[in-house]
Amino acid sequence: MTLLDKVNSAQHDPAHGGKVKLVSSVNAINWNRIQDEKDVEVWNRLVNNFWLPEKVPLSNDVQSWNTLTPEEQQLTMRVFTGLTLLDTIQGTVGAISLIPDALTPHEEAVYTNIAFMESVHAKSYSQIFSTLASTPEIDDAFRWSVENPNLQRKAEIVLGYYHGNDPLKRKVASTLLESFLFYSGFYLPMYWSSRAKLTNTADLIRLIIRDEAVHGYYIGYKFQRALEKESPERREEIKNYTFDLLYELYENEVQYTQDLYDEVGLTEDVKKFLHYNANKALMNLGYEAMFPSAVTDVNPAILSALSPNADENHDFFSGSGSSYVIGKAEMTEDEDWDF
Amino acid sequence: MAVTLTEAPAKPVMDYHSLNAMLNLYGPNGEIQFDKDKEAAKQYFLQHVNQNTVFFHTLRERLDYLVENEYYEQAVLDQYSFEFITRLNDLAYSKKFRFQTFLGAFKFYTSYTLKTFDGKRYLERYEDRVVMAALSLAGGDETLAVDLVEEMIGGRFQPATPTFLNTGKKQRGELVSCFLLRIEDNMESIGRSINSALQLSKRGGGVAFALTNIREAGAPIKQIENQSSGIIPVMKLLEDSFSYANQLGARQGAGAVYLQAHHPDIMRFLDTKRENADEKIRIKTLSLGVVVPDITFELAKKDEDMYLFSPYDVERVYGVPFADISVTEKYHEMVDDPRIKKSKMKARDFFQTIAEIQFESGYPYIMFEDTVNRENPIAGRINMSNLCSEILQVNTPTTYNDDLSYDEIGKDISCNLGSMNIALAMDSPDFGKTIETAIRGLSAVSDMSHIGSVPSIEKGNDASHAIGLGQMNLHGYLARERVYYGSEEGIDFTNIYFYTVLFHALRASNRIAMERKQTFAGFRDSKYADGTFFEKYTDRVWAPATTRVAELFSNAGIAIPTQADWAALKASVQEHGIYNQNLQAVPPTGSISYINNSTSSIHPVASKIEIRKEGKIGRVYYPAPYLTNDNLDYYQDAYEIGPEKIIDTYAAATQHVDQGLSLTLFFKDTVTTRDINKAQIYAWRKGIKTIYYIRLRQLALEGTEVDGCVSCML
Repeated sequence: MTLLDKVNSAQHDPAHGGKVKLVSSVNAINWNRIQDEKDVEVWNRLVNNFWLPEKVPLSNDVQSWNTLTPEEQQLTMRVFTGLTLLDTIQGTVGAISLIPDALTPHEEAVYTNIAFMESVHAKSYSQIFSTLASTPEIDDAFRWSVENPNLQRKAEIVLGYYHGNDPLKRKVASTLLESFLFYSGFYLPMYWSSRAKLTNTADLIRLIIRDEAVHGYYIGYKFQRALEKESPERREEIKNYTFDLLYELYENEVQYTQDLYDEVGLTEDVKKFLHYNANKALMNLGYEAMFPSAVTDVNPAILSALSPNADENHDFFSGSGSSYVIGKAEMTEDEDWDF
Repeated sequence: MAVTLTEAPAKPVMDYHSLNAMLNLYGPNGEIQFDKDKEAAKQYFLQHVNQNTVFFHTLRERLDYLVENEYYEQAVLDQYSFEFITRLNDLAYSKKFRFQTFLGAFKFYTSYTLKTFDGKRYLERYEDRVVMAALSLAGGDETLAVDLVEEMIGGRFQPATPTFLNTGKKQRGELVSCFLLRIEDNMESIGRSINSALQLSKRGGGVAFALTNIREAGAPIKQIENQSSGIIPVMKLLEDSFSYANQLGARQGAGAVYLQAHHPDIMRFLDTKRENADEKIRIKTLSLGVVVPDITFELAKKDEDMYLFSPYDVERVYGVPFADISVTEKYHEMVDDPRIKKSKMKARDFFQTIAEIQFESGYPYIMFEDTVNRENPIAGRINMSNLCSEILQVNTPTTYNDDLSYDEIGKDISCNLGSMNIALAMDSPDFGKTIETAIRGLSAVSDMSHIGSVPSIEKGNDASHAIGLGQMNLHGYLARERVYYGSEEGIDFTNIYFYTVLFHALRASNRIAMERKQTFAGFRDSKYADGTFFEKYTDRVWAPATTRVAELFSNAGIAIPTQADWAALKASVQEHGIYNQNLQAVPPTGSISYINNSTSSIHPVASKIEIRKEGKIGRVYYPAPYLTNDNLDYYQDAYEIGPEKIIDTYAAATQHVDQGLSLTLFFKDTVTTRDINKAQIYAWRKGIKTIYYIRLRQLALEGTEVDGCVSCML
């Protein structure tokens, strides 16, 4: 069974209550009646951030790719297949499953945007593969991802919660995925780019991080709004659930990290990065940190590279940067041409 | 709930990349951790450079080894006695040069220094590179070699990357960084251009092509209508050529293409940079520039249509290529001429489209064609610029025979650059001599360059000896002197500084002409020869308008040239001529400003702590020169300063620079295309010649930023 089959079959699995639940009634979205300003703010940000992988000159990384050792190349491929799986889940199941729980119609629109961009991300990894590696290598990496129990377990845990009946738990699962689970994979391209390797790939990943940062933040925000309406008991239940789930995912993630990074000796460093992002995910959900600062001292080169601000001063000769956005068009007026 | 955690291990010494990255993270008391960057530089030497540098017991042993193993060019060393080389070497080492930042050291050892052929060990320190550059450029002149070492090791003069990187090496690329070529409206010329793109990328830096003459999509071929595919396929061919060739792997070949705003393919040209452009027409790595005449602004002012003219018909009607006529001058004539096929669009839509594309990609560059030609002292027409939009020189077309051989070789453009560090130049014991040494160093690069594979470039260089003296570290200097960038004093300083540089640059070129009894070809037809160039300096007094600037110059002991000085210089130039057709051009200075501890060009800093990303070095953090936790106020970044003050500063410099200045405009992402258009109109009105990139800064959505990150804070 391929990964996609897995996602598809999960969608239709009777054990998960049949098909993914759809919204029962639809009203025309009136963007002139805004209930939550955050919806507009995030919608605008996501639209401005729209991008396609074709914009990044990935082929400039081919030379750099050839300087990696076979183990490093294999690691990189595996990391990206793992990310492909997560983005596939998030695009085809995750973001869609949040739509029925939306509090406002505009929130639904934002989820559709998120779902679409997740599919763009999933496709982006393929773009990286096909630019850098040969077909047998790609197939090999995908085979590994199907066979790796920790990666599969990760997918199963999250998919399970998406199919559950609790909207709040779905949001928790989604936020943990967006803000936590991706990052064991994101670590590697950031690490390479701090060592002047695969810098264009890192540009592309930074575009993805730019999106995921907003997604995780937004879903977490919506979670907090919904949680406010709940009883104290229910809040306690959700909180316990969140920390249990995070811990379950964390334990699995540590295994997965070891599978990936032991060979190149980066596991300890990646684990710190996991702690850091676990705290970040909890923060997005409005909870206190789980890991003390002593174990979240991420390698500064990675942390600094992570900033979703589009403020780097890149050299146009070697990359396209991750700072350009779709602008707001406005006609000039006569007074502007007063000379 | 309890979480079992593995114990945190004892802290080992951090690696230099991590130390450097800590610059971008605030310290425990909210301070910028400058000491971490110093430590990163130190650790870089301890952990990496010192362990990987080949050791030699003596200078003799070192030079013999490097010549025998074909690392150094023997002919360069043979011009001098070994005793002299030893003295020069001692002089360089006596200055106790130290890199001020991690990035400076890292950049030098990654990209400039001589390495063993397997790329694993270093064969030069900074001093060795300076000595070798001086020995090469001085061409056997011991006095000039000493002067060049003094200026380079003192940080006052820094040759451009290709010169500093390549001089004296046996296996090397060219010393010249920049080429500009015309393309004519025929297949021979297009084919030659592809060839030139390959050859020049292989040898040097960037290549720019003018596409203006090429007939538009749908134009007739051999009188049969709807045959031509226009300029896009040519752009694709060029883009692929540049990706294929690179300078011994030193950097990607890079190219730019320029198109006249009134070319019928102008919208297709711009759309190649759209975010959702089809793969077949998307241009990723080629830079775009648009040549905009005054008439386009006039039409936009009146909110009229702008007509686009078929280059094919224009060339038939006027007998010269489209790029060689002034669109402003002939506009109405062409509109009324039924022989010229035309299309039209709203002039304001054209400007708005430019701004939209700039939002998405930073491109296109803009060249204000009529401003450039009004200010050009040389006979002929300027119809394009280069990859960094600071080179502005005249060219002439090449014609070909049927067998692809040359019928008449025209003049194309190459330009070699080097920049002064303004702060250190102001500290110079002899400002005039500093400038003169720089001019002599750059002239030597022109004399030493022979690009046989592109005869039009060689011919142009032999005739013009054109050079481009640039400037950098303006913001660093102003902040060090506690003057705000873009303030009245800041602009006043820029004006007087460039005024003084121009005087010394012309005088140096005049001296070279006298020594060699040789001027550039075409001097007799220039505004230098008839004296009109000097009118603006002999007819009025140029002096500081503020007491602070007068003080800066008098404290530095730098005399500001007087009207009498100019009158004497004018007489000497009219009698003896000048050696260089072009003297100044202010490039954007990326890499060399990091090595030289400067702020780039005459821009404001992009950030107090700059995040620099390049193919060869990855992502590295660079603190602005002279920045401390006490003077942060003076380092307002370019986004805060805004386009008007930057344009005002550039306008003050532009009036004293014969070529152009790479002017990047910085905007926050809250602006609209209208704001970008307004800045362009303002720049055009202020006499700016070209606009380079548009840069946008998008801040993280509140709640998603990395905590305590210096570059995230406003």
